[in-house]
Amino acid sequence: MTHRQKLAGSLVLLTSVQILILFAGFFAPYNFAVQDRQRPFAPPTTLHFMDLRGNVHIRPFVYDLEDSGKSILVSQSDSEHCYPILFFVRGMPYKIAGVFTSEVHLFGVEAPGHIFLMGSDAYGRDQFSRFLFGGQISMLAGLIAAILSLSIGIIVGGIAGYYGGWVDELLMRGGELFLALPWLYLLFAVRAALPLHISQWEVFLLLVSVMGLIGWARPARLIRGVVLSARHRNFVVAARGFGASDLYLLRRHVLPETYGVLLTQMTLLIPQYVLAEVTLTFLGLGVGEPLPSWGSLLSSLQQYYVVSSYWWMFLPALLLIPLFLVFYTAADALQELHKSVTL
Amino acid sequence: MVADGVPGHAGGRLVVALRSEPKTLNPVLAVDEPSRDVIRCLTADLIHINRGSLKTEPSLAKSWTVSRDGRQYTLHLRRGLRFSDGEAFNADDVIFSFQVYLDEKINSSQRDLLVVGGKPIVVVKLDAYTVRFELAQPYAAAERLFDGVAILPRHLVESSYQSGSFSQSWSLSVPPNQFAGLGPFRLKEYIPGQRVVLERNPYYWKADTAGNQLPYLNEIVFLFVASEDAQVIRFQSGDTDVLSRFSAENFAVLQKQQSEKGYRLDDLGPGLEYNFLFFNLNDLSPKGLPEIAKKQAWFQDLRFRQAVSTAIDRDGIVRLVYSGRATPIWDQVTPGNKLWLDDKIPRPVRSLEHARQLLQSAGFSWKSSTLVDPHGEPVEFSILTSSSNAQRMKMATIIQDDLSQLGMTVQVVPLEFHAMVDRLQNSYNYEAAVMGLVSGDADPTSEMNVWLSSGETHLWHPNQDKPATQWESEMDQLMQEQLVTLDYAKRKRIYDRVQEIVAEDLPVICLVSPDILVGAANRMRNFRPAILVPYTLWNVEQLYIQ
Amino acid sequence: MKYLARRLVHATLLLAAVSLFSFAILQLAPGDFFAPMGLNPQISSRTIAGLRSQYGLDRSFPVRYGHWLHDALKGNLGASFAYNSPVAPLLAVRARNTLLLTGTAMLLAWLIAIPLGMWSAVYRGKWGDRAGAVVTSGLLTVPDLVLFLVLLLVAVRTGWFPTGGMVSAVFGDLNVWNRVKDIAEHLFLPALGLAIATLPPLLRHVRSAMIEVLEAPFIRAARAHGITERRVLFRYALPVAANPLISLFGLSVATMLSTSLLVEVILSWPGIGPLLVDAILAKDVYVVIGTVMLSSVFLVLGSLFADLLLFAADPRMRVE
Repeated sequence: MTHRQKLAGSLVLLTSVQILILFAGFFAPYNFAVQDRQRPFAPPTTLHFMDLRGNVHIRPFVYDLEDSGKSILVSQSDSEHCYPILFFVRGMPYKIAGVFTSEVHLFGVEAPGHIFLMGSDAYGRDQFSRFLFGGQISMLAGLIAAILSLSIGIIVGGIAGYYGGWVDELLMRGGELFLALPWLYLLFAVRAALPLHISQWEVFLLLVSVMGLIGWARPARLIRGVVLSARHRNFVVAARGFGASDLYLLRRHVLPETYGVLLTQMTLLIPQYVLAEVTLTFLGLGVGEPLPSWGSLLSSLQQYYVVSSYWWMFLPALLLIPLFLVFYTAADALQELHKSVTL
Repeated sequence: MVADGVPGHAGGRLVVALRSEPKTLNPVLAVDEPSRDVIRCLTADLIHINRGSLKTEPSLAKSWTVSRDGRQYTLHLRRGLRFSDGEAFNADDVIFSFQVYLDEKINSSQRDLLVVGGKPIVVVKLDAYTVRFELAQPYAAAERLFDGVAILPRHLVESSYQSGSFSQSWSLSVPPNQFAGLGPFRLKEYIPGQRVVLERNPYYWKADTAGNQLPYLNEIVFLFVASEDAQVIRFQSGDTDVLSRFSAENFAVLQKQQSEKGYRLDDLGPGLEYNFLFFNLNDLSPKGLPEIAKKQAWFQDLRFRQAVSTAIDRDGIVRLVYSGRATPIWDQVTPGNKLWLDDKIPRPVRSLEHARQLLQSAGFSWKSSTLVDPHGEPVEFSILTSSSNAQRMKMATIIQDDLSQLGMTVQVVPLEFHAMVDRLQNSYNYEAAVMGLVSGDADPTSEMNVWLSSGETHLWHPNQDKPATQWESEMDQLMQEQLVTLDYAKRKRIYDRVQEIVAEDLPVICLVSPDILVGAANRMRNFRPAILVPYTLWNVEQLYIQ
Repeated sequence: MKYLARRLVHATLLLAAVSLFSFAILQLAPGDFFAPMGLNPQISSRTIAGLRSQYGLDRSFPVRYGHWLHDALKGNLGASFAYNSPVAPLLAVRARNTLLLTGTAMLLAWLIAIPLGMWSAVYRGKWGDRAGAVVTSGLLTVPDLVLFLVLLLVAVRTGWFPTGGMVSAVFGDLNVWNRVKDIAEHLFLPALGLAIATLPPLLRHVRSAMIEVLEAPFIRAARAHGITERRVLFRYALPVAANPLISLFGLSVATMLSTSLLVEVILSWPGIGPLLVDAILAKDVYVVIGTVMLSSVFLVLGSLFADLLLFAADPRMRVE
């Protein structure tokens, strides 16, 4: 497979994931906040094609769950509690892109049946729906934070690498300072200083942005290294000899050299910031209930009882592995393409 | 003194995990639970609360008499007792200890308990084994004051007290020969970050029914295990012998392997913790918070609070937050507190219908499923919770969902604990909060500061100059009255009325009381967990290993 | 020598800046160590105010910072509110334990990363390399805490490893050899877990650095000369690829004190972690600042170490 094909493949995959996430309301059978207090930690619903009498159905169906009395939910396999899966059903209203309201969901079962493709969480909320909706905030937050980190990183790293000398020294030591400070308290302070009636979305994006703003030191170091070596390249030296201005040199010759590092950093930082929320949640600074996010879905795994008792809570993590893999593949391909263009 | 447990046999080592390192071994300064857990094994008090019966019993004082006016307590000390370093104990140690506890410069948190009616208790030595305590006013729970006030060895700490360095003495790095107490164990070694090891006190003064000297155990090892999950895992793998303070979910995990791993688990039923939701009823005029002040019109309306209380699914909280190991409550006295529970308090079932009627009667209405107040403002408020408490975060999330069914828009705001305390006690910049309190004792006196309108932990409106509402002024009177009433039956009637007020006027909307859950290795005997702290090791001198 | 002196001046300035900014940031978050006592119905505000003034928390920010700086210059990093004792000795013992854990884990991670990264660079695009990519991205997706809980779950179910702590309860009764063995047994699980957790980025960097070198003309030339593959890789390619890896190594030294915080909490390893997490949540500020200062020292040492290594490894640097 050529790099071009690889890139195209991963871009198609990424786009389809984005569509799934963007239209979460349509693809998800439930709203992310709906609690079913009779069914906390329900295992994933099994789709059946054959009923008890051995008849095969083309339309899959599910059985309902019942409390066995020992805080374990079991499937009731009898014809009375059997619900066929319906497509393009009317259900809870949702909004697409915050504008269009709709009630049609891709699939669902009729009440009082339930379909939890990935099981339910501690409040009996559908994990599958929460995973789809969670992507919205997590992808956005990851993107924003990564862009912030990289923009500061490229400015600081570029200046430090290009001018060198005491500027370089000052900026790099400043970076070390940033690595050393107890930023947690800043996050605590920002959270505590916010007004009471600011939406959970905004709070979260703000906190992630603060993290992004703080996280420039590492990318700056890498970019500085690249700029440093680019500065000494023959064609840069030559261009300077012809009287090219600093700005022109930076824009035209030096910064293009950093594209590879930038792209790699971008694809590494987005997943990193998506996961950083796990730590935020550990400190109680994660996205507020009842909003879902990938980080908060993963952070429920930090509890021993979840890890040891409910295997399906690993499903969000398992789904993220291929997604992040696509990210890394795209990064690899981009880097290779970039290389072959410049050579 | 003879202990009431089954006679056991000597020897063995008990391993217990603490959530964090004890911070000090100085009983005068210790405030954190791990320090107190260790200190309890090292020291003794004059009169003790038996955790099994929740009643007082003789400890270092073998008997006492009360003057007719209830203001003078004469305590007769046991004779011939020795500290764990072999030095003799007498009234001078008692006098010295109380002098230290009451010293304003020391800032002991226990001092506040020993100030009765605004004046510190006066301690007078009558002879080498008799001490008289004089109170400024009669005090119903006076005997209980002595619980946990550890008697210090004057011969070891007087010099540091005189030189003003008492606050630094008896830190964890104290050499074991510089530390002594009257408890069943004494300090053996401390390894920073890892453990504290205690050994049997050869001079201990209690014996079992067969006349053997206690304690039975040779050693107690306190390991420092920083998270609940890690503690559960260590217990499960047999590294530790006792487990307490863990969640119902972990209880269920441990239950699965109960038989094969050789431990047993106990659900003692509800303890003394009560969780509640409350609204900001402070006078906000000096603080200038117009937004919140406007919403106080709702919060101050009893029908609004009643509607909220009626709409909350307490059973749902019990099931989802505590896996069924909790009890719904409607006032501050939990069903675990059998001595003081008023069982006539009504326990209305959850009813959204009733809640809507209440709101309607208070002038609220609905505009396309959004609740609006009489001025047409949509009902929107936020609930603070501590971000470090997973249970209360869950409660708030459930309440949020419940109230959204009434058309209210509720936001859960998890804050770091210090920031939350700052809002509750200093800036009053909050609208509602979910909190919990664990009574330090079963007796209502431990709750004075919560229910008196002048109290500092009268959370919804602390430090009032004079009671803001009619029911608060009645509560003030009742609390003061029970404080000085010596007859239990009379006191119980007074405190029943306080519970009624809490349930009717809803200054706090009580939610649930979680069960006390404990676990112990099967080979431990005489293990009798209780609902009062320290849930498990209160009879440590009687524990033995099969 | 002049270079070292200049670095020393920079380091001092950095430490001063870190301390000042740390103080300022800690000041920003509302509430202090004694604030939660206010919620205890049995402690009066008078007592709390007394404690505040006893520990100097009622004084202004510049005064407190001045005091601290004055003491710090004499080697005294302030006292912990919770422990009523100086911070330095609290940190010393725990830092040693943390370094034992992170040092072992770092060694383990590099020992795995170098051969594995080289291998996947050589067999780039083959199934082995691809499988490696899946595993590393899997590891990147699983939060560290979850990884450790799963390891612990294995330990509990199988009984193969101790489930936490640094020594067993009978440690005091053991002879020297058995003590070493006991610590090694306890070290295995956290060190392995930490190594696995830090492995993915190392692996990626080793792989990409090697790929770059392997495409260089001199390697092709070396191969064309019939030099054995093994010799080409280790004698010619690795030293050239080492340059970026050394910076990375310096970074792992720099973060040795801070990478294992949560791990230590979950596995009750008696290092800085439990102390610091406790202090952060309780706002025991001098413990937090002491730890920050200590890790800044490591940061400075780590980057100095990396630069010196680079100096030694790369002849071009020596010229500059």
